[in-house]
Amino acid sequence: MRFPNKISLFAGALAVSLLAAGCSGGGSTAAPPPSGSPSVSGTAACRSGATPVTFWAWVPGIVRAVQAFNASHPSICVSLSNVGAGSPEYTKLTDSLKAGSGAPDVAEVEFDELPSFEITHNVVDLSKFGAANVKNQFVPWAWQEVSQGSTVYAMPGDAGPMGLYYNSTLLAKYGITPPTTWAEFAQDAQRLHSADPQAYLTNFAAADLQWVLSLMAQDNAYPFKYSGGSNVTINFTGPKQTAFANYWQALLSAHEVNATTDVDATSFADMDKGIDATWLSSAWGPSYFATDAKQSIGAWRAAPLPQWTAGANVAANWGGSTYPVFSQSQHQAAAATFSEWLNSSDAAWAITKTAPSSLFPTYKPLLADPTFTGITVPLSGTSTPNAVFSQAASNAGAVQWPPFMTEALTVSATAFAGVLNGTQTVNAAFSSFQNTLVKYAQQQGFTVSTS
Amino acid sequence: MTIAVPRAAREDLGPRRPAGRSSWAARRDRRGLWFIAPFLVAFVLFMITPLGYAVYSSLYTTKLIGGTSFSGLANYRETLESGQFWSGVIRTVIYAAIQIPVMLAISFFFATIFDLGLVKFGRVFRTLFFVPFAVPGVVAALMWSFILEPQFGPITRVFGVLGVHNVDFFSPSLVLPTIILIVIWEWTGYNMVILYTALKQVPRETVEAALMEGASVWTVILRIKLPMVRPAIVMIVLVNTIGALQLFTEPFILGTFQNQAISSNYTPTLYIYNTAIGGQQYNLAAAAAVVLGLLIGLISIGSLLFRRRRGELG
Repeated sequence: MRFPNKISLFAGALAVSLLAAGCSGGGSTAAPPPSGSPSVSGTAACRSGATPVTFWAWVPGIVRAVQAFNASHPSICVSLSNVGAGSPEYTKLTDSLKAGSGAPDVAEVEFDELPSFEITHNVVDLSKFGAANVKNQFVPWAWQEVSQGSTVYAMPGDAGPMGLYYNSTLLAKYGITPPTTWAEFAQDAQRLHSADPQAYLTNFAAADLQWVLSLMAQDNAYPFKYSGGSNVTINFTGPKQTAFANYWQALLSAHEVNATTDVDATSFADMDKGIDATWLSSAWGPSYFATDAKQSIGAWRAAPLPQWTAGANVAANWGGSTYPVFSQSQHQAAAATFSEWLNSSDAAWAITKTAPSSLFPTYKPLLADPTFTGITVPLSGTSTPNAVFSQAASNAGAVQWPPFMTEALTVSATAFAGVLNGTQTVNAAFSSFQNTLVKYAQQQGFTVSTS
Repeated sequence: MTIAVPRAAREDLGPRRPAGRSSWAARRDRRGLWFIAPFLVAFVLFMITPLGYAVYSSLYTTKLIGGTSFSGLANYRETLESGQFWSGVIRTVIYAAIQIPVMLAISFFFATIFDLGLVKFGRVFRTLFFVPFAVPGVVAALMWSFILEPQFGPITRVFGVLGVHNVDFFSPSLVLPTIILIVIWEWTGYNMVILYTALKQVPRETVEAALMEGASVWTVILRIKLPMVRPAIVMIVLVNTIGALQLFTEPFILGTFQNQAISSNYTPTLYIYNTAIGGQQYNLAAAAAVVLGLLIGLISIGSLLFRRRRGELG
């Protein structure tokens, strides 16, 4: 799952603004309390005396899965609260874990944020509760990102395997076939832009760190190494990373890609109007774009990401969530039972794969299910994008997230703003971003390596 | 802006009562304590205690590796040497240097018009002008974010019709003027009411005498009324300077729409917020908050001394 405040601008901004109102020390007009007591839901079918399990998540419609669990597990009563999407939830989690009480038993935590809770010893080893038994039901990279050796810190949930989402009508108009290598991709970018100076092959969203990191990972240029403990690698300036930066900087300097934002109204309008012909997107991307698409409905197709080596089959992942159980929990076994059911049962996925949740699984049985890979959506006409994304889900590699991704995300928009407005190269932004993160990591007591 | 000022404003502008210290002392009575107790409790709980805790925690450092330890003034040194913190302070000073004079000029202009009774239905218009102040800053920032949206915003479209294309109000060069615009929209009506009230306090006889002596309306406005409402203007400048240093809501909300337009240290309060929430460096954020608080305290005391010297405070 991704931060929905980028999707539905208004609802998201409102949620954030409530937070802002709560933090700004009170204006001259009394601000309402920031969702201090979120409403609890999903407990209608609970029996009295059932073990209570509290659950925080923001996936739309996930309450349906909670209700189904409570109906089929009478001895456990899961109650769901939505305390905010992404960072608002992490802030509340961190605060309640620090305070020693008030944390939920289970919560939705994105892959990149999980290590931030591992390092503070706030998540329970789920292997104590039989989690290892379901290991083989998940794509390998997802399992690697939630575990260290035999320790399992969370159950992997949904994911965002990446692909090249392209406007088939527009590419056909310029006689371009979907590029299979990045070299072809660069040639096509040049060709399309010289054919129509108003249009671009794609956009480059420099300020979206998670997107950039995913593309770097596909290029074997992922900058972080961290596997617990006090050593961390932050390398944005090595040969692989520099080559990655050079590739995109060349396209940016030639104005052959659209330097802009992504997953927002602006970029969706650019795609719909034919200004951007492709989107280096993930499995969840089309459903976000669908609400903004008008004239390009039916034209969009999914293809595998272009490859750095011709004939290779390297994929990447962008986004997705995990479901850890917190050490503060008084009912860890029941909480683990729920987290395992939610992520590794056909019953749960039968619900969460459907709208409005529309989660894309890391759960192998569903990835291989023809009724799932064969789904068609109006945006993509008669094509079946899930077939491409399911393949990508299996081909992606695991990455190691540093245990301070909130800080990295907070400072990244500032660090990469210059790339967006053309005042700074990708290389220069990489270098200054690295310096900022290295300084932060050292302040936090880490031993930092930059190579 | 995040400060609550109306009370202070009213005290300062209201008719001055000859309340001497001696009469207060004579009427001192233990029973009075009971009346101020509710305030005192809230004040200690929600003002003094958090302040004390902020100062206390600013003397420690919590690391992900190594835990919490006493670090003395290290966080203060870090803040004072932090280019990030000071660049935010400098930006808010630039912001204040533009926003306050422009807003004051507009407020005074309209306050004068209403004071002279030049428009019919003055009361209705005064209320209308005041309405933006009733809109919370968060809502105002959201609203303007939509109005100025680069692709679909109505203002951007009007510019397009006029032949000015691709105006991005959130670009690095325009985002500060955009914030200034929003804040002026929010606060002009409020300050106009303060100035209007002050103008109304100017004795009729003074104005009439001046007119009798042959002074023009302009002379009356600029040479008589303006100097006589100077205390109100000084107060507005002070309050808005403090407000500028605390600027948070507007850039924060704009940042959720255009996150590359607003840096994490755009204003000192944003720096404090992002240091605490993003970086989990609560201790460093506490130190920066104390420094900012002291800065605001210095400005307030400086202004107080200045006004006292000029005999503007009783």
